[in-house]
Amino acid sequence: MAYRAEPPDGGWGWMVVLSAFFQSALVFGVLRSFGVFFVEFVAAFEEPAARVSWIASIGIAVQQFGSPVGSALSTKFGPRPAVMTGGILTALGMLLASFATSLTHLYLSIGLLSGSGWALTFTPTLACLSRYFSRRRSLAMGLALTGVGLSSFAFAPLFQWLLNHYAWRGALLLVSALSLHLVACGALLRPLSLAEDPVVGGPGAQITSLLRHGPFLRYTVALTLINTGYFIPYVHLVAHLRDLGWDPLPAAFLLSVAAISDLVGRVASGWLGDAVPGPVARLLMLWTTLTGVILALYPVAEAPTGLVALTMAYGFTSGALTPVAFSVLPELVGTGKIYCGLGLVQMVESIGGLLGAPLSGKGNKISRWAMAAVFYHGGCRGELI
Amino acid sequence: MRALQGLRGPRAPSLPLLLLCFLAALRRSLEHGLSTAAPFTSLPVQEEMMTKSSNLSLESHSISMTAAPFTSLPVQEEMMTKSSNLSLESHSISMTVEHSNMPVEKNITLERPSNVELICQFTPSGDLNSVNVTWKKGDKLLEGNYLVNATGGILYTQHRVAVINSKQMGSYSCFFGEKKQQRGTFNLKVPEINGQNKPLITYLGDSVVLMCKCQDCLPLNWTWYGGNGSVQVPIGVPVNDKYVISGKHANETRLKITQLSEDDQGTYLCHAIFELGESEGHVKLVVLSYLVPLKVFCAIAAEVVLLVAAILLFEMYTQKKKKPSDDGKEFEQGEQLKLDDSNGIENSGPRHRKNESVGQ
Repeated sequence: MAYRAEPPDGGWGWMVVLSAFFQSALVFGVLRSFGVFFVEFVAAFEEPAARVSWIASIGIAVQQFGSPVGSALSTKFGPRPAVMTGGILTALGMLLASFATSLTHLYLSIGLLSGSGWALTFTPTLACLSRYFSRRRSLAMGLALTGVGLSSFAFAPLFQWLLNHYAWRGALLLVSALSLHLVACGALLRPLSLAEDPVVGGPGAQITSLLRHGPFLRYTVALTLINTGYFIPYVHLVAHLRDLGWDPLPAAFLLSVAAISDLVGRVASGWLGDAVPGPVARLLMLWTTLTGVILALYPVAEAPTGLVALTMAYGFTSGALTPVAFSVLPELVGTGKIYCGLGLVQMVESIGGLLGAPLSGKGNKISRWAMAAVFYHGGCRGELI
Repeated sequence: MRALQGLRGPRAPSLPLLLLCFLAALRRSLEHGLSTAAPFTSLPVQEEMMTKSSNLSLESHSISMTAAPFTSLPVQEEMMTKSSNLSLESHSISMTVEHSNMPVEKNITLERPSNVELICQFTPSGDLNSVNVTWKKGDKLLEGNYLVNATGGILYTQHRVAVINSKQMGSYSCFFGEKKQQRGTFNLKVPEINGQNKPLITYLGDSVVLMCKCQDCLPLNWTWYGGNGSVQVPIGVPVNDKYVISGKHANETRLKITQLSEDDQGTYLCHAIFELGESEGHVKLVVLSYLVPLKVFCAIAAEVVLLVAAILLFEMYTQKKKKPSDDGKEFEQGEQLKLDDSNGIENSGPRHRKNESVGQ
């Protein structure tokens, strides 16, 4: 294949966007909607819900910690084999899970096996996407990441329907078949050779050079801080609303509102990131500052209209910062090192994600929101440097 | 015509002396279940009920008989509650002329024997005195045992039932008026059992737990019946390994069935036995074979294979069009997946620098 001087910014790139869209749907949409299965597992294995939810925790942990492995493999062999292997692993994990006789069986098959499958798919895809676009990178990212939000809407009812008709064993079998489409998505990732590739060398060399790269390290720390604060609002929003006297149904509805504005925020920010000239990092600063401010306002808002407005704004800004966060990285490290860079970032920021929720559980109501706001501001400062 | 009757028994004149004598006489005759004054022919039936319930709630009956015939209702109620060992429940329906076409119904759930007081209130448009009041159980007219009162333009009628066994359960209706009858109905029922609304899906060789639950009640006993079609066979009677009946709390029952086969399909009934009757819930069981989802899986897997093949073939086709000189080895199927990709990044083979854009 020919070496390109710069990314094509279109053409086959849009097929890569499509592939990334379906992949984020199949990875994170499945993860988010898995809660439907947990109810069945609790009844079938007669285990408490806390132990059953470890399945998802293990899966997410393996996916994030395994990201560097995924990116190293895709640097060496290209994204296509990595993603296709990942798809087969994921489907295999789900297939074996349908024969499970105990909860440990599920931890290993879904958590470990499918988790490593997911690790091999998500990071290489996003990295490949950022190689295909330069001018319209943020928009492409935003569009691709909408797959997560839309699939959360679609998969939860779908999984419930599957459970009603096939019970959990049959439903897992069919989710496995669904995950096989990751292989098809992987096939779409035509490898691209850019001019910088021979310069940066293999994965080992890339990782060592990244670890010595000052801006990259600061960026990683900033993103970790942001990630620590990211999940806190989602975890505590419903509890906060209930404390204020909301009923469960309107509270759940408000979460859906947040999800929709998250979706809109991603696309809008993606478009904005490309339309506005200059370094994308400034936009990231803008969104993180706004999110921090909004979160700080939460303890003050009491009236329903205020809360709804705040939630919509929060959804928008937190959705907005996601594609921008991913777009900053190629600017920092160059498209040649993007695979490894993204893998490392994912791994480190997952530590933040893991710590964030339990840390926030310790404080009282107001301190939670303050903590989240602080994390976001910390991330913002990191960007300033 | 208004029926002015004392509650459960003869009407005594409100003289203190007679009150005392009557009390004494009643206590003596308690064992024989006789009443010293019995002007009404329907009394024997009432007496029988009275005897049974009077083992538990003696004083209340006697006091109310000798009280002035029309103390206001609340006072009588109060006395009943204080002295009865059986709990008293009071339920009322109010009707106005506007609701003439809609039958007014109230469902009462009873689990244990108790005294139940049914009160109908009616606001007639015309004259109070011209309204005829009757009570029926099912279709049978009830005589005696009820009280009618009129205060402030509203007609009250009250019927008390001592519910001891399933014979006293059913529908009690109060009727106002002769021609255009207003009807209020009280349905006395045992608590309902919740089975499972959705059918349970299981697979051959698997095991399943069927559960029936009662929200706020404690049945005396549970039994399970299963059957295909109309024949209901009790389960667990010859105790074997296949069926295990258990229950963590008294208000639920679990039936565990192991080694499922196609014959186990169907509707299972859980029977709850109360002092006042029986109630049942349904659980539907469907047994599938593994082939059912497996076929869908294979279909989807085949579709994925087709998609992948189509994508790769399309790519090879477009690349063939652009690099006609590079046929043969480099673009053969099978191995080419890995070679194709590493070609761009690591392969030390000859590089083809062309000006055409890739993948357009």
